Amino acid sequence: MAAATVAAEELRQMGLQPTPRVEKADDVLGGDDDEILRFMDSADSYLLLMDSLSSALRQGWLDLASARHSMGASRVSSTLFDHKEQCAATKLQVVYPADLRPSESNPHFALSKWCLQESNSGDVIGMQDSTKPKLRYRGLAAAPDGINESDATTAKSSTGVDTSSQVQMARSKALSVFGALVSPKLRTTQVSFETALELIVELANSRSTMLSSFSQIKP
Amino acid sequence: MAGRANIPANSSALIAIIADEDTVTGFLMAGVGNVDLRKKTNYLLVDNKTTVKQIEDAFKEFTAREDIAIVLISQYIANMIRFLVDSYNKPIPAILEIPSKDHPYDPANDSVLSRVKYLFSADSVASDRR
Repeated sequence: MAAATVAAEELRQMGLQPTPRVEKADDVLGGDDDEILRFMDSADSYLLLMDSLSSALRQGWLDLASARHSMGASRVSSTLFDHKEQCAATKLQVVYPADLRPSESNPHFALSKWCLQESNSGDVIGMQDSTKPKLRYRGLAAAPDGINESDATTAKSSTGVDTSSQVQMARSKALSVFGALVSPKLRTTQVSFETALELIVELANSRSTMLSSFSQIKP
Repeated sequence: MAGRANIPANSSALIAIIADEDTVTGFLMAGVGNVDLRKKTNYLLVDNKTTVKQIEDAFKEFTAREDIAIVLISQYIANMIRFLVDSYNKPIPAILEIPSKDHPYDPANDSVLSRVKYLFSADSVASDRR
């Protein structure tokens, strides 16, 4: 705002009047440009993500219809839902910015799929990619550092394999209400809706940013 | 909704769903289904027998629960309780209107975009210029 005032003063000194419409627009919006840009970006992101979500859901519905066709309508039905006590395997983590109270904050959402953190899964994949065959050192306790690192990598990769198998078990358990043997289309349905969940979390974050920016710039 | 405690930072929270059978089935397959000790679920399956009152009650319950961070609601169902959805303005739980099989997403009806749309409206700026 100070820069705009200085610019207007310079224009007056040069004999040029600033455009009244520009000043009116600033008065109407009442916020700085950064916040306006953040709002526009988050609104654009929201609409793009909603479009992606529509595609992911459409794919999921199509896969579900294919699974229902191959397995039979009675085997893929809401009547099979388990109403016994159970915890959700996929949850959210909510983080509030440190400098704001929760009631007026811009909360950030993170997805924890199959009881695992997203970052842990990424780390696991990274570790699995970097795994390579190592020589196993037998004998002395004081092993060279390189070998210690290889043991650590092997331990991490075995943890990664355990995590991956845990995820697969959780996925299979979620499908077990439909029977022991399920159509591959049901598994692709599950993947489609997992993708939709990731998009939904991004949508929630965009919504949060948009509303936070909007509250800053509205007059 | 008044007096609802905030979800503690970095704690786990649930996703609630108010949608048709296929959408609810799909998301339950993705692992979001939760049933507590009192047999209360975090989802409502809406069919042609579901009344508007049941939808309203489910929406009010999900937005009042401390352990729910996002409420997904099919947009055509949100249209049935539009006054309730539009009057909701808390950051948590976040209300997201999603498309359904038979009703594609319409940005004009989205409660969030409706709240901010006047910033995009030519009328609001043009009226100040006159």
